Amino acid sequence: MTSRERALGWLAGLGLTAGLVMAFGVAPREATQGNVQRIMYLHVPAILVAYLAFGVVLVASVIYLWGRAAGADRLAHASAEVGVVFTGINIATGAIWGKPTWGTWWTWDARLTSTAVLFLVYVGYLLLRGMVDEPDRRARAAAVVGILGAANIPIVHFSVKWWRALHQPSTILGPEPSPIATPIAATLLVNWIAFTLLFAYLLTARMEIARFEETHAG
Amino acid sequence: MPDNWGYVFSAYGLAAVALLGYWRRLVGRAKRLADGEGRTGNETG
Repeated sequence: MTSRERALGWLAGLGLTAGLVMAFGVAPREATQGNVQRIMYLHVPAILVAYLAFGVVLVASVIYLWGRAAGADRLAHASAEVGVVFTGINIATGAIWGKPTWGTWWTWDARLTSTAVLFLVYVGYLLLRGMVDEPDRRARAAAVVGILGAANIPIVHFSVKWWRALHQPSTILGPEPSPIATPIAATLLVNWIAFTLLFAYLLTARMEIARFEETHAG
Repeated sequence: MPDNWGYVFSAYGLAAVALLGYWRRLVGRAKRLADGEGRTGNETG
């Protein structure tokens, strides 16, 4: 483990601890939903980090197709894997939040369905990588899927605006100023930063493994 | 609305299990690779 990786790991750990303190000790009980709304501090940062991860896949895939840089392919692969973990967390915590608030674990709402498609696209991306042995062919095919898959990110994000949905509209990253109360917004921000640090740490660790495997395979 | 603490702790617990599980998997894989390199180094050295 490199010193940069270790420092990122400690920062992420501190961030997550601060996030938990904020979520359970600082953020108030939400007036309409009660304490179950605290799931938001997990659910929203998870999808924002997944957007970031798949955005990295998009950029790294374009760079790979442009110049055939092995490092860009490694970055795309690592970022897709970590992105799938965060998307899975978003979907699972959303289902747990949905049961007491909507009365159902799952519904074929536009936001939920497009997020499930996003998850499946990147699971497919990882499966595809496992099915092709020749490194350049594997990287090229994965890059194409990584670029096409990113088209789903705006569909997920704007689905609540474009279609009638059970899921609430965007309260952050929306066109209007956020109506969220300051302590709730601050808690969300701290958790968002913590999840981003955790993403950076996991991405670095995963890339290190890939680099090691490639060096010793070649 | 009732507080539904059970749902809150389930969500946080599930996320913790997923993230810790993935992290342990990465750490274990890195350790196995490093151990393998050490053994190869000993054999060739």
